[in-house]
Amino acid sequence: MVRLRGAGCRFGPREALRDVDLTIHAGERVAVLGASGAGKSTLLALLNGSLEPTTGSVEVFGEDPALLSVPRRRRLQRRIGSVSQDLALIEQVRVLHNVNAGRLGRWSTTRALASLVWPHSLDVVVDALDRVDLGWALHERTERLSGGERQRVAIARLLVQAPELVVADEPVSSLDPVRAAEILGLLRTSPAVRTVVVALHQPALAQKHCARVLGLREGRLVLDLPAAEVSDAALNDLYALV
Amino acid sequence: MTVRLDAPPSPPAAAPARRRAVSGRRVVLRRLSGLLAVAGLLAWAVDRALPAEGELVNRGGLALLDDLAATALHPSLDAAFCGVVLEATVTTLALALLGTAGALVVGLAGGLILSDVAWDRSPPWPVRAGRLLLRGVLVAVRSVHELVWALFLVSVLGLDPLVAVLALALPFGAQSAQVFGETLDGVPGAPLRALRAAGARRFPALAYALLPGAAPLLLSYSFYRFECALRSTVVLGVAGVGGLGVELTLSLQSRNWGEVWTLVAALLALAAVVELWSNRVRSDVAVVTCADWSAGQARAARSPRGLSRSTRWSLALVVPAIAGAWWWVGPSPAGLVSTRTQDLGGRLLLDLWPPALPEGGMPALAGASLDTVAMAVLAMVVAVVITLVVGPWAGRPRADRRGPAAWGRRALWWPARLLLLVLRSIPPTVWAVVALLSLFPGVLPGASALGLYTGGILGRLVAEAWETMDLRPRDALRGAGVPRVVSAVLSIGPPSANHLVTYTLYRFEICVRDTVIVGAVGAAGLGRLLGERLAAFDFSVVTSILLASLLISFAVELLGRRLRRALRG
Ligand SMILES: Nc1ncnc2c1ncn2[C@@H]1O[C@H](COP(=O)(O)OP(=O)(O)OP(=O)(O)O)[C@@H](O)[C@H]1O
Ligand SMILES: [Mg+2]
Repeated sequence: MVRLRGAGCRFGPREALRDVDLTIHAGERVAVLGASGAGKSTLLALLNGSLEPTTGSVEVFGEDPALLSVPRRRRLQRRIGSVSQDLALIEQVRVLHNVNAGRLGRWSTTRALASLVWPHSLDVVVDALDRVDLGWALHERTERLSGGERQRVAIARLLVQAPELVVADEPVSSLDPVRAAEILGLLRTSPAVRTVVVALHQPALAQKHCARVLGLREGRLVLDLPAAEVSDAALNDLYALV
Repeated sequence: MTVRLDAPPSPPAAAPARRRAVSGRRVVLRRLSGLLAVAGLLAWAVDRALPAEGELVNRGGLALLDDLAATALHPSLDAAFCGVVLEATVTTLALALLGTAGALVVGLAGGLILSDVAWDRSPPWPVRAGRLLLRGVLVAVRSVHELVWALFLVSVLGLDPLVAVLALALPFGAQSAQVFGETLDGVPGAPLRALRAAGARRFPALAYALLPGAAPLLLSYSFYRFECALRSTVVLGVAGVGGLGVELTLSLQSRNWGEVWTLVAALLALAAVVELWSNRVRSDVAVVTCADWSAGQARAARSPRGLSRSTRWSLALVVPAIAGAWWWVGPSPAGLVSTRTQDLGGRLLLDLWPPALPEGGMPALAGASLDTVAMAVLAMVVAVVITLVVGPWAGRPRADRRGPAAWGRRALWWPARLLLLVLRSIPPTVWAVVALLSLFPGVLPGASALGLYTGGILGRLVAEAWETMDLRPRDALRGAGVPRVVSAVLSIGPPSANHLVTYTLYRFEICVRDTVIVGAVGAAGLGRLLGERLAAFDFSVVTSILLASLLISFAVELLGRRLRRALRG
């Protein structure tokens, strides 16, 4: 489903990711761990096609997003749902529009524009918001929500997009433990979703909710094990200061 | 050594940006040189404006001025004329509305093309080249004054209302495109990228991710532009299009002072209503002052409360109002593509090139250019004096003040605002005619006319900036036991001076462009030359005059930037 071959990424002089070889099969649930600045977000950005590797190649659903024509890339990206670390919610609109934005890829331009004025099939939105415990926030302005509530709006957007591959960058960083577990469970059990790649800062969550754990250190993939086999020593190594 | 090898790659050579300490002496020297430059400029302008010999005051004209004053309380109230005035008022409003709408269309399209966010990643090189070209075209389009556009368009389209609409829409649209582009780029780009990454099409993604953040700013700017358009529409009367402006020109020409006063009253009423309304809407949708927009940027952009009911109604009525305006003025867009237009337009373009020097050659052109600059400088002197005298009283009094001093302040507030409104609502052409009655043609009457008009605008801009100034530093000083007067001077002085310098210099650039208005009615400078040559259909000379004014605009912009940096330290 996802294959990286010698993929690397540099921003000017800084190598954020180097020489990553990685295959993720359909149906896998993968956690990405690593210290701050290790390259987790960069790796996930390669997976959803919002970033192109400077070296090596990326293949998602058997195609390299960098080589596709614009419409075909768009069609590919529709099947990938992302939650970015900074959430990237539209602040000045009601929550329902932020959730509906997950369906923009499937909507015609007219329907999308009309929906800004007269929201389209609100029941789907309500359903998604209910599942993240935010049913009450449907008509709230997004900028008024708390950090954790905003994260759940981003998840609701993902739910209405119903992608096959979920690429989530620290989707539960500002949630309490109970809600964090619940959200990760939602990502896993959502009917359309088959594959989940999620960057996390809590190894325990990763081991509990994912079957496979990847570890990044200074842009290199240094750990790739089934969750059960990840030892405390390996984790200490991953996060140790030099 | 091994440690060295295992160590993470040394952080990129992001040069530790150590800033050199700014020495106080340098700042003082820089300011001093700035002040000296300003003083030199003033001395030169005064010297240039005063005629070497001969009289300054036109005694013959003073008698007419007496007539003008005498009829002030006896405006023409003839029923037929009042009907004409009413109709002209509606036409003016309609034309300003249509012109603004056109400018917004141009501005939105141009702004989207010019903004970086609308393109994913970096656009391919043909697009980049096209954008560079567009930028150049927009600069050229807006450097030509709307009055000049109108004069050109009239010679191609005849006296069609479309002339006024286009003359407003072109330069204002070019200006708006730049502001809109920057506004769009100022909206955080992450939501847009996220939508695109999820496979959304370009336009829906733009509408969802950018519009909500940018719309208040765009709206606020549009209403600000509408106020400007109203003033400009009146000026277009000189070219024979535009409702009240035309009537005003006719009445001035026939020296029918009673009618002039009636028209002026109508103008003031219209301007007052529009500004009050626009102010209300603007303060509702976003916290951006006119002052910010005139300087081409938004400082703060959050509307503190939701839209009020009146604003909602205003916005809902915009589209019907535009349709109504179109119906009222009845422009004939078919004229744009008629063979006659193509014929005339083609001939005009052929006549424009190659440029030729006016009679008197280069010295005449250079002299007129220098006159223009001198006129703008002196006009700014008048404007700054007006601002310093009236501006401090024209800002809204702070609500938390009490006592007799506050009452006095409130009593002065309305007259000060009204005075500024009168100054800026009466078009500079009228001020120029009045000035030309009392002074012999030259730089001086033009400068005083333009100065009065610009003073009305500058005074308002500065008052608005002062009004929204942050007073917490002053309160902090006061809280620390510093005497009232000292803390006021220390905390309010520097930022107020800063505002004054910034807006004066911005307005100076606009003033140079506006000299064409007073020139066209006979004052002096490039404007006068332009008016004469246009009337004589001497288009090749017109081209060189336009090029000269473009050059002056650039030079003045450079000078303004320099001075701004020097004076602000
Ligand atoms: N757009 C960019 N421009 C320049 N450098 C970047 C950019 N994006 C990331 N980097 C750099 O690449 C490195 C890896 O960044 P990345 O965001 O992938 O880290 P991360 O593992 O997600 O960290 P965190 O846990 O803090 O989110 C960092 O050193 C970062 O500074
Ligand atoms: Mg990250």
